[in-house]
Amino acid sequence: MRLGKIRKLYFPFTRASIQSTLMYSVNMIFFSLSELLYCFVMFYVWKAVFAASGGDDFMGFDMQDMFLYLFMTNVTAYLTMSQADSAIAEEIKDGSISMRLLKPVNFNLSVLFKDIANPMILFVMVFVPMTVCIEIYRGVTAGMVMFQPLNCLFYLLSGAVAYLISFYMNMSFGFLAFYVTNLWGMGILKKILLKFLSGAVIPLAFMPTVLKNILAFLPFASLSYTPVMIYIGKYSITEMLLNFGLQIFWLLMMFLLCKLIWKSAIKRLCVQGG
Amino acid sequence: MKKTLKIYRLLLVQNIKTLMEYRIDFLTGALSFIIDQAVGIGFIFIIFSQIPQLAGFTLEQIVFIYGFSLIPKGLDHMFTDNLWSVGYFIVQKGDFDKYLTRPIDPLFHIIAEKFQIDAAGELIMGIALVCVSAGAANVVFTPLSVLFFIIAIIFASLIYTAIKIGTAALAFWIKVSGQITQVFYMTNEFAKYPTTIYSDFIRTVITYIVPFAFTGYYPCLYFLTGENPLFNIGGVVAVATILLLIALSIWKRGLKAYESAGS
Repeated sequence: MRLGKIRKLYFPFTRASIQSTLMYSVNMIFFSLSELLYCFVMFYVWKAVFAASGGDDFMGFDMQDMFLYLFMTNVTAYLTMSQADSAIAEEIKDGSISMRLLKPVNFNLSVLFKDIANPMILFVMVFVPMTVCIEIYRGVTAGMVMFQPLNCLFYLLSGAVAYLISFYMNMSFGFLAFYVTNLWGMGILKKILLKFLSGAVIPLAFMPTVLKNILAFLPFASLSYTPVMIYIGKYSITEMLLNFGLQIFWLLMMFLLCKLIWKSAIKRLCVQGG
Repeated sequence: MKKTLKIYRLLLVQNIKTLMEYRIDFLTGALSFIIDQAVGIGFIFIIFSQIPQLAGFTLEQIVFIYGFSLIPKGLDHMFTDNLWSVGYFIVQKGDFDKYLTRPIDPLFHIIAEKFQIDAAGELIMGIALVCVSAGAANVVFTPLSVLFFIIAIIFASLIYTAIKIGTAALAFWIKVSGQITQVFYMTNEFAKYPTTIYSDFIRTVITYIVPFAFTGYYPCLYFLTGENPLFNIGGVVAVATILLLIALSIWKRGLKAYESAGS
């Protein structure tokens, strides 16, 4: 497909989505505020841990690393958040999916271009201000500029791939609505499992070796752990390339999984009324 | 009172019938809350694999505080979950009119309408943690402390409920207040750990302004050390009562200010 055609066909989806999301920007600010509270709790818990351990090293992390890890994981969760699953499930439930199917556009791409408005808005509204605050705090406590532009660049690259993995993962999950009538409970379970599997609560580096190795290989680590570790500067060049390669691998797998589910699910589609 | 109880029982039975309809949803919901708390506990264990004490407390004591804080949270979650809907959509959609036309108190009706069985996850986890850790944490159960325990749990749950009523009532003026409830509610995360680890500012906020410290750390301090029952247990009762009175008066004013949003 030519780029010009993509732009003409799909950019309107993004534009419309940006407009409707901005209408709820106040909601979003409150939401991010309440999530931020959790980071502060953890920040103080870690401070107490470092105070109790006497040293400034906890399994290879110092307080600065821990601070960055907590807050960057929070920011990354926003950037890579995809709402494709609830959007799809809603359309399947109320039958409006038929409108999307009637249009001469690729189904997955049209959802993607609608969904991508999320990270775009959150990049401006959450990522930029948060990172600035984080870096100012870091600079002040360390007494020098700690910001690493190169790490930040690689972080964004890795974060973009993470978003795409998250998107295809959520699409596949959303297609479950073809088979299950009520996705609500499953949605909560998914959210909580992801939080754990992606290392958002406990950094994977702290987990028992066997568990750590398994989780590091699974696609969930690609969602936030990999980009965050790149930002903190915990990876050597080789590790970074390896993990980035793993991210690409999982992106392909998720893309294929999504296609596969779609192929079998679309045969079951039965829209009532309309 | 007898009539109220009867209505509550009838609504509860209806609720449980609908739960049977979505059995899988209920199971996954409760399971997720259990997993969520289990991960939280896993985190505490990992920390304690490296340090002997956190802010002067042993592993078992921290687990006790953590578990205790889940019980009032779970109780409130189980019985008053519908308050969230007021702030998120009942008022906005104009559905609140329904409650005003019934011959029972609207607040009671809202609360009685939903029984959130998912909260069983938090409750089971909380009770299990308290039971497992109480012995090693040197909690002494005398008739008096058991009485205090029950009082503390009830009034701590009311702190949650009061904060939800007060913030949900804001919807009567601004239509949607769910996010405000969310910000206040999330502050409860601070209750799971000793308040001594926080900065003075945060400690003041969670003691006197959004007093979630009374739903976890303070009452536990009494059970763990026997210190200062007047502040640690009496404080829970006082704070919950004051907060509930404020919340109810906001709710009452809100009802007067309410204008239907529907057509």
